[in-house]
Amino acid sequence: MKHKYLFVAALLLSLSLAGVGFVKVSTGAGYDGEKKGEEEFLIVTSFYPMYIACLNIAGNCEGVTVRNLSEPQTGCLHDYQLTPEDMMMLSQADVFVVNGGGMEGFLTDAVKEYPDLKILEAGEAIFSETPETEAADEKDHGHDHGENAHVWMSIPHYMEQVSAIGRGLSEADPAHQEEYRTRTEEYLEKIQQLYQDAKKRLAGAQGRKIVLFHEAFAFLAEDYGMEIAGELDLDEERQISAQETAELLEVIREKEVGVLLAESMYGKDMGDTIQKETDCRVYYLNTLVRGEEDAASWLEGMEENIRLLEEALASEEGL
Amino acid sequence: MDDIFSWLRFDFMKLAFGAVLLITPLFGLMGTMIVSRKMAFFSDALGHSALTGIAVGIVFGIGDTNLSMVVFAIVFALLLNKISSKHAESVDTIISVFSSLSIALGLAILSRGGNFSKYSSLLVGDILSITPKELLYLGILLAATLGFWCICSNYLQAASIHRALAKSKHIPVSLMEYLFAVLAALVVMLSIKWVGILIINALLILPAAASRNLSENLREYHFFALVFSVFSGILGLIISYYANVATGPAIVIIAAIIYFATYLYRRCAGT
Repeated sequence: MKHKYLFVAALLLSLSLAGVGFVKVSTGAGYDGEKKGEEEFLIVTSFYPMYIACLNIAGNCEGVTVRNLSEPQTGCLHDYQLTPEDMMMLSQADVFVVNGGGMEGFLTDAVKEYPDLKILEAGEAIFSETPETEAADEKDHGHDHGENAHVWMSIPHYMEQVSAIGRGLSEADPAHQEEYRTRTEEYLEKIQQLYQDAKKRLAGAQGRKIVLFHEAFAFLAEDYGMEIAGELDLDEERQISAQETAELLEVIREKEVGVLLAESMYGKDMGDTIQKETDCRVYYLNTLVRGEEDAASWLEGMEENIRLLEEALASEEGL
Repeated sequence: MDDIFSWLRFDFMKLAFGAVLLITPLFGLMGTMIVSRKMAFFSDALGHSALTGIAVGIVFGIGDTNLSMVVFAIVFALLLNKISSKHAESVDTIISVFSSLSIALGLAILSRGGNFSKYSSLLVGDILSITPKELLYLGILLAATLGFWCICSNYLQAASIHRALAKSKHIPVSLMEYLFAVLAALVVMLSIKWVGILIINALLILPAAASRNLSENLREYHFFALVFSVFSGILGLIISYYANVATGPAIVIIAAIIYFATYLYRRCAGT
């Protein structure tokens, strides 16, 4: 009888101690809420493209820290939940840079939790341009994000976002205004160069028919005047019905589409199927939402995408 | 010690802590009744019906899917209870059929147009996003469960030991069973958003099962179940905070460790 209570007490105690030990070990690792000094200006970004943009604009500034939310390792951001670490970061952020357009589904929660948090929506101007009707139309197709929010995939849109972030940061943190401005201009120049180059290399893309497996690539198609013959939005939770697949195959055959753009993580299986069934060639592009903590990674990723597109168009001509 | 409680600086952690303090005793109590009535599979099926409940709400255009979820779960629980009381032979098969049908229905409706990702948070649950109002609902539910437990626990126990004998003692056995089914539906539905479909049953079953390994009488059974449940809840929350993992699974892992420890204890003690 006594043994039992002793046993329970010992069990719970040892578990608690193990827990405490675990906590002690792991507190060093993650984001420590205490570290932020008073003068430090903390910029928190919602996900990778925003993080890279901010790294370019404010990365090496004295007294400015740029941190990204511990974003999901897989999938899109739409159904991401904030972790405790994120909540801590947000509670101390001076400005929170987001993409907007419904990309950050958790934004409403964050706003509810931190009403004083200054939110800088990089895509605000782009999304307010989209006419209401178009957005509603998109919904009918079953996208849960309303409109296509992957605007960082379009070079001109991304440039708009970068300059919006530059302006917003200068307003929020006047002390570093000069630095932000010059860095923004430098970064924009680099992007502009890439865009000029891309337009030259992809001049032949005008009017070409393609099929997309991810709506993010719609912006690439738009930038270079390609015609989207069909689209399946493959996502982490997406279950494709047999009918949809059949319809897409029909479209590819009828319109003689030669190029299909997909993302390797979710489009691979489906891409293989399509390649087997039709003459269509599948190219796996980068949606630029994951990668190293390297300020140049957007530029590099985009350049690789352009190279792949060029290759795709060339091989189609060879057929 | 400062480090250990530093997490209470944040409001969302205070709310989550409150939620754990309400949910775990609730689950401890319900768990003891579910385990001793051999209804583990029943509560699992209930959890799965949450998806269907939401889907039904969407099909009928009900704005508040919480409502349709609760109503559907209650209907589902009553139906399950009725059917399983008639066919005592193959209860597990019947429940399995119902549970898989309901989850298939839910998935079919919710995945139309590729929308399922919106609901995937239901699978894992998110205790950190709980609001004060929802905390209040949980408090009311806990009070109701406590009331039910004080009045009916003995009756239910009697019925689960020997149904016919309990009936002969003028205990309203079927009424009790229906009431219990409804209560279980309410508890599961109101906490599923915070705990998640995939692990809600583990939280119900594990503390009671662990307690069963140790206890020699009903009082001990309930006492240990409560202690294990609350303990794993609090420790799980703290660990999940520092280790940056989802809270529900962390709680379940601790409850499982307790279960195995008590199991070994019983084996060694030879009782």
